[in-house]
Amino acid sequence: MNRRQSFVCIAATTLFTAAAFLFFGLRYPYHIHYQEQLQLFQFGSDYFLQVTSVPGGLADWCGRFLTQFFYYAWAGAAICALLLCLIQVLTWKLAGRNGFTTYALSFIPAAFCWFHLCGEHSIPGALVALAIALAAALAVSRISSRKTALILYPFLVPVLYYICGGLVAVYLLAVPVILCRRFSFKVIVPCLIIVLVLGAASPLVARQLFNYPLKRLILGIHYNRYPHMVAVWMWLAALSVPLVCLVKESVKARTDALTGWACLVGAAIFCVAGVSLNSDREKEEHMCYDFMVRYGMWNRIMMKADMKNPDKPFTVCCLNLALGQSGRMEQHQFEYFQNGPQGLLPDFMRDCTSPLPTAEAYWALGMVNTAQRYYFEAQEAIPDFQKSARCYKRLAETNIVNEDLQVARKYLIPLTKTLFYKGWAEKALAAVDDGSIGSWPEYSKEKALRFKENDFLFSDKEMDSMLGKLYLENRGNRLALDYLISYALLGKDIPRFAEFLSLYEGTPLPKPYQEAFLLYWASSHNGPEGLPDFISRDVLNNFQAFVTGMQQGQDANQLGGRFGKTYWYYYYFRFNG
Amino acid sequence: MKKLSIITAACLILSACTEKVAEFPIGAAGPIYPDYMDVTVPAGIAPLNFCYTAPGLKDVETVFSAGGKEVKVKGTKVRIKEKDWKMLLAEAAGGDITVKSSAVDSSWAIHVSEDGIDYGLNYRLIAPGYEVHSKMGIYERELGSFSQRPLLENTQFDGCVNCHAYNRGDPVDMTLHIRGSHGATLIRKDGVMQAFNTKTDSTLGFCVYPYWHPERRYVAFSTNTTRQGFHVGQEKLIEVFDLDSDLQVYDVTGNQVITKPTVKKDSLWETFPAFSPDGKTLYFCAAQAKPIPAEVTEIRYNLYKTSFDASSGTLGDDVETVIDASSFGKSVSFPKPSFDGKYLMYTLSDYGNFSIWHHESDLWLLDLETGQSRSLDELNSPDTDSYHNWSSNSRWVVFSSRRDDGLYTRPYISHVNADGTFTKPFMLPQKDPAAFYSNLMYSFNVPEFVTGPVPFDKISAQKMINSPERIQFGFRWSD
Repeated sequence: MNRRQSFVCIAATTLFTAAAFLFFGLRYPYHIHYQEQLQLFQFGSDYFLQVTSVPGGLADWCGRFLTQFFYYAWAGAAICALLLCLIQVLTWKLAGRNGFTTYALSFIPAAFCWFHLCGEHSIPGALVALAIALAAALAVSRISSRKTALILYPFLVPVLYYICGGLVAVYLLAVPVILCRRFSFKVIVPCLIIVLVLGAASPLVARQLFNYPLKRLILGIHYNRYPHMVAVWMWLAALSVPLVCLVKESVKARTDALTGWACLVGAAIFCVAGVSLNSDREKEEHMCYDFMVRYGMWNRIMMKADMKNPDKPFTVCCLNLALGQSGRMEQHQFEYFQNGPQGLLPDFMRDCTSPLPTAEAYWALGMVNTAQRYYFEAQEAIPDFQKSARCYKRLAETNIVNEDLQVARKYLIPLTKTLFYKGWAEKALAAVDDGSIGSWPEYSKEKALRFKENDFLFSDKEMDSMLGKLYLENRGNRLALDYLISYALLGKDIPRFAEFLSLYEGTPLPKPYQEAFLLYWASSHNGPEGLPDFISRDVLNNFQAFVTGMQQGQDANQLGGRFGKTYWYYYYFRFNG
Repeated sequence: MKKLSIITAACLILSACTEKVAEFPIGAAGPIYPDYMDVTVPAGIAPLNFCYTAPGLKDVETVFSAGGKEVKVKGTKVRIKEKDWKMLLAEAAGGDITVKSSAVDSSWAIHVSEDGIDYGLNYRLIAPGYEVHSKMGIYERELGSFSQRPLLENTQFDGCVNCHAYNRGDPVDMTLHIRGSHGATLIRKDGVMQAFNTKTDSTLGFCVYPYWHPERRYVAFSTNTTRQGFHVGQEKLIEVFDLDSDLQVYDVTGNQVITKPTVKKDSLWETFPAFSPDGKTLYFCAAQAKPIPAEVTEIRYNLYKTSFDASSGTLGDDVETVIDASSFGKSVSFPKPSFDGKYLMYTLSDYGNFSIWHHESDLWLLDLETGQSRSLDELNSPDTDSYHNWSSNSRWVVFSSRRDDGLYTRPYISHVNADGTFTKPFMLPQKDPAAFYSNLMYSFNVPEFVTGPVPFDKISAQKMINSPERIQFGFRWSD
């Protein structure tokens, strides 16, 4: 490579790393946070031994160690970018640094790794596994002593299998390509046979020792959060490395520059197109809402909803919680898309994400046991059986409020072994032990909100009854009243709404409540005569205009312009489920 | 080399212990955790390691003595070497190991019984949760050491595993349920394991609670339509209840489930079958059917028995009430006759049959000779004491209790004296019990004694579970 090409190499690698950093930091930050909340990395030998006691465990442990920094999105973005850079550089070095084409193609494995990181359930530890295997391959291929290289190459196979798992394949396949440059086939072939035998034997032996199906022992126990899913992009990355190494042999020096430029442009297009296709904006949005709910960013949720109205039960649930928590639900709920009572407190689903905002809503309402169940179930539903620091924190809190302090301790102790939850956990643990935790304001408040007189079995079919009891036990639980009235409104149960309205003591009556009341009134009266004075003249005039519009046969689109943010519009044109 | 040293040092720093916190439950009763003061242990038990609960102790010395020999252990975490412990047990067989400590005013004793105990325990480790399950498995623990090995874990298949049962602790005969998309009941007899579909057109559903007949040909099962409910109040979390249940006996040789209208009544929910040690009587619990969940707190199970003829595989027409618990507002679960035929241990709770989630659940003992029942106050705690099992010689019982922290069940073992009284129970020993039980986020579920290591081929079991092939249970009515 000439000096100009060397400069291009440095620039392209830097650009690639910067692009990855900006992508994860700006476009994909909530995927970063999402990864962090689905694990509970603990410092300590117990956790280390637990994670590293399976093939691929050491790489996985390193991956988990790095993932804990995803607590901060930009730190996570930097780690992802550096891992991708590392893989690209290692591939380049392994393939042979003096070819421009090889350099250009060295972005292909890294690009596959980037695609891998775009998946919500892809495990960063897989990149660590690949990097370790590549580093080992590079080290062996650079050993000057022929004898040492030929002994070390097979010897490292089972060791690397245990460290990296199935991605040791990159080592198995790439090293002989490199060694072929130095040794004759007569030397390489017997060594290769030994290596392949060891490579095949490693998972077979592991099968006897570890409780995993052979398929997982070959394809990787923990490259993807779902055990039955193969980390396809990582495997393509691993398999592409020996191909990149082979290319070096076939490209002639004369055409290297031209081919190299073509490959570089092609790799860039491939990378951009692949990332674009594999990144999931909708999931990123969901994760964003979940993140904001986690940290109580109620105003940010509403600002986001103002820019793009959420329309999925998950995001609508987050928005409604934000409206409720900021005291805006009664006034503004129907200015946003609503999808029925499911947007308020969605039914439980067996996954590790969707129960979390609902759990936060139950926690905010004071339904501590239900919140605890949702947090616990969300955590149990993490497909790779990891625990969640986020859930542990909340589970400690639900147990503190329920005065199950021994159980709270069990959740707090692991949190004291983490990096970012340690401070809080140690304070909470000390307060649990000295008996002062109950006086912490957040838990005093939660205790005041929770059920005290009633115990019955949770029933999602009797949500209004539960919310009603919650409010009647504590008239200060304003959120319970908001949710109670909203539940009736969203379910279009106008008689129940009218019943619940008697619990409302504020003045003036919020506009949506006036609108709903007018529907109630209209169902039993022929005109506005005798209408209570809490109905404003403006709302009444609007209602008359809406009724006129309906009578004239105007459809949803025609009425939507003026009445789209009224309860009447929701009642007639939204949620017909 | 220098780089390697740096990496090693970094790893050590990363895995270094953080600031120490008390690992035992705060307010743990007694000066040591687990409370091993004045307990009775079998001669083959693993070392009873413990720690002192008082804060700030330093330079503590604990002296164990038996038969003129002494073992001294220094520190607040008392770990006795296995070799020393075995020596102490051998010296104290039929007598006491005396324990003196510089941290506790008076000495205490560990009584060593001459009654042998079985090889080990089998249990399921599962997080005490609701409907979703994370990692779980069936594990075998050798009682003479701290060794635990997994028999089957749900990393091997998609689903959950439960209700393992052996014939009087004999590890050769075994049943095991797999739930989920690979649902099956694994039954091993005479060393051959097969996967069955236990649901038939003539029965309610899949087989649930198993109990082996002593002659090894039959397994009694209940079949239950079970649901969960979740309390909103502070005291209780979960309610598990049946919407229906029946009893049936599976003929392993003929591959048929046998039932009879007397144990398959619509108006009665029959569950928890258990054969008497002579195999001629089938005990079971049953409750009058009531609207669920509205009257869930009114469901109360009595203990009944009916006759069983093993030669013809027939259930008798007689159904006799053994304990009319509903008459005094209680509910019976987990009836377990001792294998010497003297006693029947059961759990008594306020209502329902899932007593493991009831804080008020206590163990009771029925003397089968006198017909008198008594609360096992020497075993019970203020919290849940529920599932239990007898050792094969009926000299020991293991039971699960939530007394430690109110949520996580831990196995406790107690010796059965000749007069039918029980010694103070001791928690299953661990190498570092405070750290072990503090870090373990699983409950010990269904602890069962086994008389030897369970010969379990996990690879073939895994293949069997993941394969869609199931042998279909046949059905016949009992004569």
